[in-house]
Amino acid sequence: MVKGLFNISRWEEAFAHMDTFGEGMLMTVKVAFLGLLVAVLLGIIFGVISTTKVKILQVISRIYVEFFQNTPLVVQVFFYYNGLPQILQAILGTSRPVRLSKLLLGVIGVGFYHGAYIAEVIRTGIEAVPKGQTEAAYSQGFTKIQTMRYIILPQTLKLILPPLANQALNLVKNTSVLALVAGGDLMYHSDNVVSGSGFLQGYIISCVLYFIICFPIATLVRKLEVRSKKTPTPKKMKTMEVA
Amino acid sequence: MKKKVISMLMTLMMVAAFAVGCSSDSKDSDTETTAGETTAAAGEETTAANAEDPGLQSIKDAGKLKVGTKVDVPSFGLQNTATGEYEGLEVDIAYAVAAEIFGVTPEEAKEQGLVEFQGVTAKTRGPLLDNGELNLVAATFTITEERKQSWNFSTPYYEDALGLMCLENSGYETMADIDGAIIGVAQGATTKDAIQAYIEEQGLDIEVEFQEFDGYPALSAALSSGNIDIFSVDRAILAGYNDDTTKILPERFGTQEYGVATALYATELTELVEKVVTDLINSGEMDTMISGWGIE
Repeated sequence: MVKGLFNISRWEEAFAHMDTFGEGMLMTVKVAFLGLLVAVLLGIIFGVISTTKVKILQVISRIYVEFFQNTPLVVQVFFYYNGLPQILQAILGTSRPVRLSKLLLGVIGVGFYHGAYIAEVIRTGIEAVPKGQTEAAYSQGFTKIQTMRYIILPQTLKLILPPLANQALNLVKNTSVLALVAGGDLMYHSDNVVSGSGFLQGYIISCVLYFIICFPIATLVRKLEVRSKKTPTPKKMKTMEVA
Repeated sequence: MKKKVISMLMTLMMVAAFAVGCSSDSKDSDTETTAGETTAAAGEETTAANAEDPGLQSIKDAGKLKVGTKVDVPSFGLQNTATGEYEGLEVDIAYAVAAEIFGVTPEEAKEQGLVEFQGVTAKTRGPLLDNGELNLVAATFTITEERKQSWNFSTPYYEDALGLMCLENSGYETMADIDGAIIGVAQGATTKDAIQAYIEEQGLDIEVEFQEFDGYPALSAALSSGNIDIFSVDRAILAGYNDDTTKILPERFGTQEYGVATALYATELTELVEKVVTDLINSGEMDTMISGWGIE
């Protein structure tokens, strides 16, 4: 099988399926993009409420994070795939199971899973800014909102951006879990091409296509990491508005 | 910035070098095949790595015939969950082949454990033959012109047709009703093409969508969870999954023949398998075995 990698006719045959690969790549990008939106949204909500002083919110956030961090994504997606249609059928009282689109399935899958990780990223980011910063800001006459806006959040953001981008990167790769439930993503289509032909070329093409999506994000991660380590240089002050 | 440019260039170069390496190599083997003519596709592998026919001696030396069968197709190849034993028509064929190789009766071959079975799927059986992991495959393997380029097939021992299975309450009665349905098929199987060909041939005005799954249990689960409307595969295999919640539509189409497959390079074994299968057919033994397993 490996020898066949050097066979040009097999490459030609694999490239003949390029439109299939394109279709899969489009699906992967769509799932990744929408999934990331869901994940960031959930991450912000659960990350922020876990830093509040309200006990019940903290508990809810903890349960969400621990559950999704400590169970495999594959099991979660299989559950959504095989279970949700029937659960929805029971809830909505329809005559047949409510079929979820593969896009929705993927977005729910990676969105909820990575949402938990992002919640942790945001929580640790907020907690990482030393309390002295807030106190110093107050002593300089900043209001609560101004403190958040000008002192805390800029520092948090710089701290959490690299791990956030890292989550985005993993999220893109994890969309390939859809292949296991005939999800129409890049991995699904390349696996079909490979099993239809028996040639490994399909996997290599799909690797290259995943690489094209992921490499820019990985580069971004590195850049952000470098930036977050730099000591900030003072900005040129504009004339301060008098509050 | 400079570093970034360099790293990107290096990546590009690696990809390029890889691609060039592939194409130049394959050109060589291409000319080889044009000379050899009949050896196409998977043939290259054999001309290069596995050109030598290991012959029957290697199997005798190993003391075991390595056979790939299905583990989830009742009456053909099924692994008994209670005993772990493989049983079915194709398992019996494998014992008959082993008996011929080792000069014993099929019963003795079974008793002495001369066959080492490995479960295969539509997706894995080809590669496992190619890399020598299996000596032969008897796993509801449909003979097609395309596949003959990659593997040797014996005379067909069974003829089957495709079937469509849906849920009892789906409201489908014939194939004409399945407009808009999602049909689940097995990866690497010929089912999809056969269904499309049949729809065209019958001039049915229906649109269907296909989804491919890895293995029949996954297909069966997708059907019962309502994610696909129809589970389509060879009727022999469908029969094993049909229960009181499902039904099989009346259409029989895409007639196909099962053969025992061997690797292209295994000339000696191929000849022996062919002899065993034709002997079984000519002596009427095959019919007895088929009806013995309760196959129509």
